Amino acid sequence: MTTTVESETERVIVPGRGGSRRGTRPRRPGLLKFGHWWWALPGVVLVIAIHYIATVFGGAFAFTNWSGLGSFDWIGFENFRRIFQDSSKLLALGNTLFLAFGSVILTNVLGLAIALGLNRGLKTRYALRVLFFMPVVLSPLAVSYIWKFIFDYNGPLNTVLRAIGLDSVARAWTGDPTWAIWTILIVIVWQQTGFSMVIYMAGLAAVPVEIEEAAAIDGASLWQRFWHVTLPAIRPAVAISTTLGLVNGLRVFDQIMALTGTGPAGATATLATEVYKQAFTLGNFGYGAALALVLTVIILVFAVIQQRVSSGREED
Amino acid sequence: MTQQRRSRAVRAGVFATAVAGALILAGCSGTSGDGGNTTTDTKQFSLAFGVSNEVETGYEKLANQYMTENPGVKITLNKLPGETYAQTIRTQLQAGNASDVFVAAPGVGQAYSLVTLAKAGLLAPLDDTAKKVIPAGADAQFIVDGKTYGQALDIAFVGNIYNDLPGVAYPSDFQGVLDTCKKMAADKKSLFVIAGSVGANTGIMAQTIAATRVYAQDPQWDQERLAGKVTFADSQGWKDTLQAIVDMNKAGCFQKGAEGAGFDAITNGLTQGAALGMFGPSGAATEINTAAQGHAKFAVYAFPAATSSDKAYGIASSTYAYSIAASSKNKVAAQKFLDWMADPAQSKAFAKDQGTIPVSGYEDIDFKDSVYAPVESVLKDGAYTPIPNSSWPNASVYDALGAGVLGLLTGQKTIDQVLADMDAAWAN
Repeated sequence: MTTTVESETERVIVPGRGGSRRGTRPRRPGLLKFGHWWWALPGVVLVIAIHYIATVFGGAFAFTNWSGLGSFDWIGFENFRRIFQDSSKLLALGNTLFLAFGSVILTNVLGLAIALGLNRGLKTRYALRVLFFMPVVLSPLAVSYIWKFIFDYNGPLNTVLRAIGLDSVARAWTGDPTWAIWTILIVIVWQQTGFSMVIYMAGLAAVPVEIEEAAAIDGASLWQRFWHVTLPAIRPAVAISTTLGLVNGLRVFDQIMALTGTGPAGATATLATEVYKQAFTLGNFGYGAALALVLTVIILVFAVIQQRVSSGREED
Repeated sequence: MTQQRRSRAVRAGVFATAVAGALILAGCSGTSGDGGNTTTDTKQFSLAFGVSNEVETGYEKLANQYMTENPGVKITLNKLPGETYAQTIRTQLQAGNASDVFVAAPGVGQAYSLVTLAKAGLLAPLDDTAKKVIPAGADAQFIVDGKTYGQALDIAFVGNIYNDLPGVAYPSDFQGVLDTCKKMAADKKSLFVIAGSVGANTGIMAQTIAATRVYAQDPQWDQERLAGKVTFADSQGWKDTLQAIVDMNKAGCFQKGAEGAGFDAITNGLTQGAALGMFGPSGAATEINTAAQGHAKFAVYAFPAATSSDKAYGIASSTYAYSIAASSKNKVAAQKFLDWMADPAQSKAFAKDQGTIPVSGYEDIDFKDSVYAPVESVLKDGAYTPIPNSSWPNASVYDALGAGVLGLLTGQKTIDQVLADMDAAWAN
């Protein structure tokens, strides 16, 4: 059997091998064949053991009263009943959703705006892209500590406010029950906007200039061009960016522990920080595992909804 | 593929799986040993303690001294990071690979509390030497089912660490506190500096004040709470304690921005002279004095009672103890080291290094020129109670107290809410 390859300029006839559909194969003894499943077996075993089995064990503890030491009893859904009856856990749930949706909306709107602005035209756009992306590569913990200093009662923010005569506005931002959660949101948005920007720039690069120019010639305003031409074309980028942003936003931890330590008096606690506090600091491992399970289910639900909403519109 | 090649591939695959599995199992089985050697002196053991910097601590100095005095004995020092020490030790004990001797916290309520660890079967019982050095009134923090599981290393006094050098006299009663606070606030300073965002600091402040409002009248209050005879919510003493904090906040006793302040605010405030005192364990006084090199003179004070006719009372207990892991294979060598540590000579050397009070041989110490001069009578009269949270059944109660005090400062919580939270946490 021969294979014929036709290209635009010439026709090449390649002799094939009898009986095989795989094309050319290296003549090597059995162990060195590529692609066999047992080459990957050690890696697969490790991933299953460390990643999945360990997670299942951890999840199983959600139905016990284990303290992290010694023995435990199976208590069924008692931990979950406690979670939904505790007002502080409901506050944590509210904070989790606020930070997740707040950070997704703000980072995506700002990221898209910056990406649009730096897409074409500006001479300094390459340097500006680097500047806007730099915060993303920094450690969230290091960034949080620096912002903690900025928000400090005697830190730069309050010093500036006092210097321009806004003494009454200056306060201990990370210790204020109303404003503490906003400080965390600001830090998250500051660091993650660059990430959204990069995703949107990749999406925008695929939008053909001709269609936008055609729309402009037809008399579409800037906003109409954006809403009816650009946005539909970057729908996949929107889907990716919002999914990633939502999943990460629901898991925020470093920024909260560094900025407010879940304070003041638990006002900035989220499900992720509560998992850590209950399981490891207070020695209620079973209760912490139950909180972790609830958080996992919430993330799964939102990720699935997110994917349905984003990919559902792709066909039109 | 031919039949021959396929069977060779399958054999090779089975072989690879078997090797991988054997390696994994070998790695996992390393911890299950032979149950520990309990009669032979192996003349070596490992010692773990927490460190926050490179400065040599009393733990290390005394271990080295022991090795010098006993050639042939080898101590392996495991210096673990201080911030995560409690969690690390707990994980190591659970996994069975903890050091033979390690530092644990007396009582209950912390991740490395020795009563909790002993009840989980992770500690080995100690000799009678350990029983002899238990500080007065603190039996429940070291003894479980008649056996002693920790050896106290020193006694720390928890109170106000106050700078006498600027010449502002430490108030003798609570009204004096409020008046001094108002005077200092008018000078844009504060009498005390607190780390509002750190639950441990607000909690220790509450306990220092509770010494005279709750425990001076009823030293057995914690035991009564454990028996269910009293609650936080119906305790006038605890209500007075939290009311005192609210009054102090109104009088400007705490620095501006205290709600969001961390430990760095305490260091900065005290070294810059913006505040005169902090709430904390007595070891801090010696540390800050050494760092200040003559520019400050910190001493340890007990927080004043409500009126000057009320009894002076303080909080003093052992904050750290040595314990031996149940899985240790060098128990005899470890126990010999602990017996040596309990000698008055070692006890005094350790306490001197840590800036605390020795656990044995302190009756004849003259405190007059030390940082403990202001609390000498409180110590000698035994007018102190072990730190309350080491008797509380779980860590959530102290957590509720620390967060509750911050809630009082920010206005998020009322006194009754804080006490109710503590009772709710107790029941969990």
